[in-house]
Amino acid sequence: MFKKLVVLNTLALSMLALSATARAAALMGFADSIMIMGEAGHDYQEVMMNYSPVVGHAFGIEHMRMEDKDGMQMSISAINYTGLLQRWNMKGGQANLWFMGGVGHAYGDGDEGFAYTPSVQFDYETTRLYFLGKLRMMRGPDMNFDSASVQGGFSFYETGFDETQPWFVVEARTMRNMEPGFQVTPALRLINKDYFLELGVSNPFDGEYRTPRINFMFVF
Amino acid sequence: MKKIVFTLIALSFSAPSYAASIKAEVNGMVCAFCAKGIEKKLNALPQSQNVFVDLKNHIVVLELKENENVPLEDFKAIIKDAGYDVSAAEVVDKTAAEIKAEIAK
Repeated sequence: MFKKLVVLNTLALSMLALSATARAAALMGFADSIMIMGEAGHDYQEVMMNYSPVVGHAFGIEHMRMEDKDGMQMSISAINYTGLLQRWNMKGGQANLWFMGGVGHAYGDGDEGFAYTPSVQFDYETTRLYFLGKLRMMRGPDMNFDSASVQGGFSFYETGFDETQPWFVVEARTMRNMEPGFQVTPALRLINKDYFLELGVSNPFDGEYRTPRINFMFVF
Repeated sequence: MKKIVFTLIALSFSAPSYAASIKAEVNGMVCAFCAKGIEKKLNALPQSQNVFVDLKNHIVVLELKENENVPLEDFKAIIKDAGYDVSAAEVVDKTAAEIKAEIAK
């Protein structure tokens, strides 16, 4: 079963070429929708696909690959669940509290075995401002890539529903056993009703660790 | 009598076609990518003629085909299923394009 998951996830990763992140405000689409999201950076790549039968719940698969500070490469393939714990719809704003967790298989240069990736996320967004905080465990045998991240940003201007809206977003993230353990990533985010695309540079002021990063989301 | 009949016939040809839309204020709708579900679900309705979404003013308009109707409760349920809340909704005798033009003023 896990080998099938690995094949499926690897295929999805190849199709996407790069990937998308799970750091946008929406972690799932609308009822009866499929969402693909992922992130591609130098030492961390992740891709996830989920199906939402009803608003507030989504089930899917995920695959992630990490390279730790010692050069060890590890991967996790898992099935996951995303739940909207609470949503606050306000006039001109929306806030969400999410739970997302995966259970699966860890493999690579280290020990193979059971892996789990629970996380909680809070986000708040208006048409001009954006904030997100996320805590995530990423564990397997002899593996710990727990992370904490915050994001903040603003849109340059408001747009119509059929137009692409540009945003400037900065993320600060700590991740265990990564080098560097603390990363700052400014990014240009483009949001359209059909896609979410983010192009950033991690550690832009550190020549040794400066790397591009791409996030992508697509719902259909 | 003839005059009345003639007048009624003339009116029936000159009167503007009836257009009805559901216009709603929707809370939480701030991002086009996230609100795509609203447009998709409303467009899928057989009674739908046109859909207009305005993020800045938090307005959603469902223009109905002639002689078609969607109960307001059904409309609100669709918005709810997309993850948002309707704070106000009404049926207006305007097309989506007319409402869009009004908002743009």
